[in-house]
Amino acid sequence: MDVKKPASQENLNGDESESQISHLALDIGGSLIKVVYFLRSNGSGGSVDDSGKKSDPVLEGRLHFAKFETSKINDCLEFIRSKNLHLAGGGAYKFADLIKEKLGVVLDKEDEMDCLVTGANFLLKAVHQEAFTYVDGQKEFVQIDQNDLYPYLLVNIGSGVSMIKVDGDGKFERISGTSVGGGTFWGLGRLLTNCKSFDELLELSHQGNNRVIDMLVGDIYGGSEYSKIGLTSTNIASSFGKAISDNKELKDYKPEDVARSLLRMISNNIGQISYLNALRFGLKRIFFAGFFIRGHAYTMDTISVAVSFWSKGDAKAMFLRHEGFLGALGAFVSYENHGLGGLKTHQSVQQFAVSKTYAGKKICCLVNEDLNDNESIDFGVAFAA
Amino acid sequence: MAGLSEGQTPVLEIDGTLNSNDGNSRGNKGKDKAVVLVGEENSNSNIDTQNQQGGSGGGSEREMPSMHRSGSRPQLDLSKAAIQGNFEVKDPTILLPNQSDDISHLALDIGGSLIKLVYFSRHEDQSIDDKRKKTIKERLGISNGNRRSYPILGGRLHFVKFETTKISECLDFIHSKQLHRGGVDSCHWNPGVQANDNAVIKATGGGAYKFADLFKERLGVSLDKEDEMDCLVAGANFLLKAIRHEAFTHMEGQKEFVQIDTNDLFPYLLVNIGSGVSMIKVDGDGKFERVSGTNVGGGTYWGLGRLLTKCKSFDELLELSQRGDNGTIDMLVGDIYGGMDYSKIGLSASTIASSFGKTISDKKELADYRPEDISLSLLRMISYNIGQISYLNALRFGLKRIFFGGFFIRGHAYTMDTISFAVQFWSKGEAQAMFLRHEGFLGALGAFMSYEKHGLDDLMVHQLVERFPMGAPYTGGRIHGPPLGDLNEKASEARVCLLLLEMPLPLNLFQISWMEKFVLKGTEITAPVPMAPSGTTGLGGFEVPLSKGSTLRSDASALNVGVLHLVPTLEVFPLLADPKMYEPNTIDLADRSELEYWFTVLSEHLPDLVDKAVASEGGTDDAKRRGDAFARAFSAHLARLMEEPAAYGKLGLANLLELREECLREFQFLDAYRSIKQRENEASLAVLPDLLVELDSMSEVDDFDAFKERMLGSGDNKPRPHKRALLFVDNSGADVVLGMLPLARELLRRGTEVVLVANSLPALNDITAMELPDIVAEAAKHCDILRRAAEAGGLLVDAMINTLDGSKENSPSVPLMVVENGCGSPCIDLRQVSSELAAAAKNADLIILEGMGRALHTNFNARFKCEALKLAMVKNQRLAEKLIKGNIYDCVCRYEPAR
Repeated sequence: MDVKKPASQENLNGDESESQISHLALDIGGSLIKVVYFLRSNGSGGSVDDSGKKSDPVLEGRLHFAKFETSKINDCLEFIRSKNLHLAGGGAYKFADLIKEKLGVVLDKEDEMDCLVTGANFLLKAVHQEAFTYVDGQKEFVQIDQNDLYPYLLVNIGSGVSMIKVDGDGKFERISGTSVGGGTFWGLGRLLTNCKSFDELLELSHQGNNRVIDMLVGDIYGGSEYSKIGLTSTNIASSFGKAISDNKELKDYKPEDVARSLLRMISNNIGQISYLNALRFGLKRIFFAGFFIRGHAYTMDTISVAVSFWSKGDAKAMFLRHEGFLGALGAFVSYENHGLGGLKTHQSVQQFAVSKTYAGKKICCLVNEDLNDNESIDFGVAFAA
Repeated sequence: MAGLSEGQTPVLEIDGTLNSNDGNSRGNKGKDKAVVLVGEENSNSNIDTQNQQGGSGGGSEREMPSMHRSGSRPQLDLSKAAIQGNFEVKDPTILLPNQSDDISHLALDIGGSLIKLVYFSRHEDQSIDDKRKKTIKERLGISNGNRRSYPILGGRLHFVKFETTKISECLDFIHSKQLHRGGVDSCHWNPGVQANDNAVIKATGGGAYKFADLFKERLGVSLDKEDEMDCLVAGANFLLKAIRHEAFTHMEGQKEFVQIDTNDLFPYLLVNIGSGVSMIKVDGDGKFERVSGTNVGGGTYWGLGRLLTKCKSFDELLELSQRGDNGTIDMLVGDIYGGMDYSKIGLSASTIASSFGKTISDKKELADYRPEDISLSLLRMISYNIGQISYLNALRFGLKRIFFGGFFIRGHAYTMDTISFAVQFWSKGEAQAMFLRHEGFLGALGAFMSYEKHGLDDLMVHQLVERFPMGAPYTGGRIHGPPLGDLNEKASEARVCLLLLEMPLPLNLFQISWMEKFVLKGTEITAPVPMAPSGTTGLGGFEVPLSKGSTLRSDASALNVGVLHLVPTLEVFPLLADPKMYEPNTIDLADRSELEYWFTVLSEHLPDLVDKAVASEGGTDDAKRRGDAFARAFSAHLARLMEEPAAYGKLGLANLLELREECLREFQFLDAYRSIKQRENEASLAVLPDLLVELDSMSEVDDFDAFKERMLGSGDNKPRPHKRALLFVDNSGADVVLGMLPLARELLRRGTEVVLVANSLPALNDITAMELPDIVAEAAKHCDILRRAAEAGGLLVDAMINTLDGSKENSPSVPLMVVENGCGSPCIDLRQVSSELAAAAKNADLIILEGMGRALHTNFNARFKCEALKLAMVKNQRLAEKLIKGNIYDCVCRYEPAR
């Protein structure tokens, strides 16, 4: 087993020759296009990572992840020069014509839910320390017994939120969801703050103080706690509730505070609905994924708090390191399953390993930078045959 | 009792409704009855705390114009009453402990966004118990003038709201009405109260803590903080148990009232949507648990809405949403899937995939979006979310019903629809969202209940009558001058006045001079007008219907809160075969064509009614102006109801007819048909002797026997006489004098006790229970049977029939009695009748309903435990065709054996 460092930005952007991309899958969502592709490391010597080490000869290739804003699909198409595409996501339908025109390829549309679940199952089974909890800023990896994986709740937070009960490989059901998701955060955030990107908004929320805008229990009860119903004075009683009583206008609020309130509102809500659904179906674990999370500490924190709060500590939110790429990964895996690739997924799964250097924070940073630049390189997963 | 002036002995007077025969009747005339909220109404008693006005002291007080309303605090009486449970005690030395405290009948719910007030006002002079004790002289002629007392006891619960940011206005309002001191009148009544620093107001909501000092400072009252959840639940339980059709479902704009079996009420989920949302599992009275909630609530809607649209008020924001299209803001499933449904996961193309998701990809800025669209998007997002979380919680705890309350709902059709949709969507149709008409006032109502935990808890549904003040709001806004005018502009109270003042049309409509005159002369008014000049103007009722449909729609439903009249003497008519299944209305106005027809009928009849009403008040200029105002107000209500039939609750023809009477009363037409009735009665009485002679000369008495033979079957040649018959009388004049009295006479002759059941309040030309004894007395002059029976029934206490003293030694007769039915409508809802009628019904084995209103419009399909006879002439072609497939002027005689 060999642990590899990620492919660098340069690797994927320019240096890799197109011929090396043997397989590629897309997840075209409402806000973002996620790309998963496989690079063969065939000993050409071309794929040298930024540390200068040569690729390990035993590697057959790397799985790469990239993403684009959907509104910039042309950039994405420019990026893609592959001949074989597997797509997932609603956009696979919407943009089929465009892609055919631009790339001259026909999209082989995979079912979005199938892809999500397949991707999640793949990750949870194949990748060590894929899942983690996030409590009080501390990330803690959770090793999940594969025999005790199902059933679980998969909450995919894209533009909207899908909640999927997963009972096994290919066995799943979308049991719930909510329209208050990443798109809401970004959409409302744009209107309220004039941020230019999702990441900018997330960044802003780091510096904000939601108490300026949210009505807290303490605001209503004059600072005293309302412990009888299990609320403390700092609990949010009403998101944006303070914007009512003030005579201030939008411009009088700091964008940071607005972003923070928004983030807390949405994270909290998703956490709550997810927990209620897990409870309803007796699911022991809730995995949160999708671009809203993005390894963003505060998002994960609020969702974790929400789940913990509503479950009175009984449940913990779990996150996937490759959140955001589930659909694309699922599309990719389904491609493999069709026997079209050289990868022997079924045999190699157990041997996959991921570098420990890819901690969430670093990923997050990369992502942010990438998006801001409209670049799309993330990191790679090294495959060992 | 601090509210009493010094030098007078505070007493607790307790008298029975039915049979109080103390010789105090004259004194009672001007007395102020405390409302009686007694649970154990079966005792036919109520407790009445009053100022025992000894001698001239009381008299002079009554002469003071604004003094006819008592400041006594009924809730205190109540609580005491319930604790004691003793309705016979009449002990002048009893001082209720609470009476010395200046506790007003006002309760507050001070939330983060809104302050809700519930306050109680007393009814006008009541003298339910003395009418049969009055001398006939007193009742004849002019005695039924302006100082007429109406025999419905009770009081009114008013509902008002203010924005929390405008708490000063709320304080002004309370101050102007002296609510913290038990109402204006009590303040006048006893100026000493002013100095009382011990006044306490029940309050709940977070602001009860936050603003406690402010209340102390500004009003000198302490807030007695009640637990918020306790209050919410108490309020909801009270409403669900005590008010018929309080709950309703709302799907696709259609409101459907749900009658909930109070025995099958618990457990339920109560979702209170205020600034935030609380979800409470209610297992019974006082048994509940807050199981969940969400911070995305009304405050979020308003807060975000303000930031995004610059709306100045919550209502403005709601209003905007009416015209919005969220498709421009929300990312729909169709947007993602290129217009195709994603049917595999059960989502249609129009399902919202991501709220505000479209504002991501567009290059547009906030200013480029329509505020209407934003408001709607926001509303849908929040409603949908609340509906979903609520359903999940109901599911989690196995609760069959979810009631949504709180100010976010506000009767706003779209909000309710979205929440309903969410619940239905997520439950796959298995659950339905239900709403409460008094949403928003749960907390305040609960706080109010806490004054009298021992009394109101037992209040039954039949004791509450909800009235929608027909003209009162206008008075309310005008009378109080600066404080209220100010309030109105700022859209804070009850939405009634808001609409009035904001909308040019209705404002002009009611800027009629009589109102202004009324205001100017407010203190001079001596007539016991239905709404007092100051204390109980019916604020909290509803707004004026507007011709502008769209604006009306949202606002209209927001005002569906009428004033609750507590009428503790009302009971369910005991002879109803199945009270639960009973539906008074024969004609269901849910049928659009029926609705239109009857509205047309009422509209067409309106000018004539106005003429009569104006004439009844002497045709003065003032009367004409009031008549004009009445016509416009009533037309406006009709127009509104046409648009939204469920606006005031479940609507049947009986409700419509009653509404008209209420409206008349609101405009101080106390008895539009007074002179007509009088004339007809006199004319009929003149003919009566001849009729009786003629009847007596008939061998078989009259057709009644034959009818009876036929209807009862001839198996038994001599049918056993009935023990007691209840005759529900109808019109004055020939109808009662030449119709019902002879019928009564025949029954009496057969040894059947006869109880004439008449209206408590005037309605059209129907005879009232107060007028009837005079008629009977007059008729008795011509008929010995009637005279003896009337004497036996206590109708002739004053030996008016002076010429017939000798005959008193005749064999004792079965009694002829008169009872009031407890209502003031041409129809009758037998779920709510007076306690004396209920008492009289207990031994009755025959019911005779006479007249269209009570036998056809209502009760035509009612089934009784005893024999029933429904008599009417169908004076309406449509009705004739519909009910009996006959023609106009056909007579209906429906006999039904006992069940």
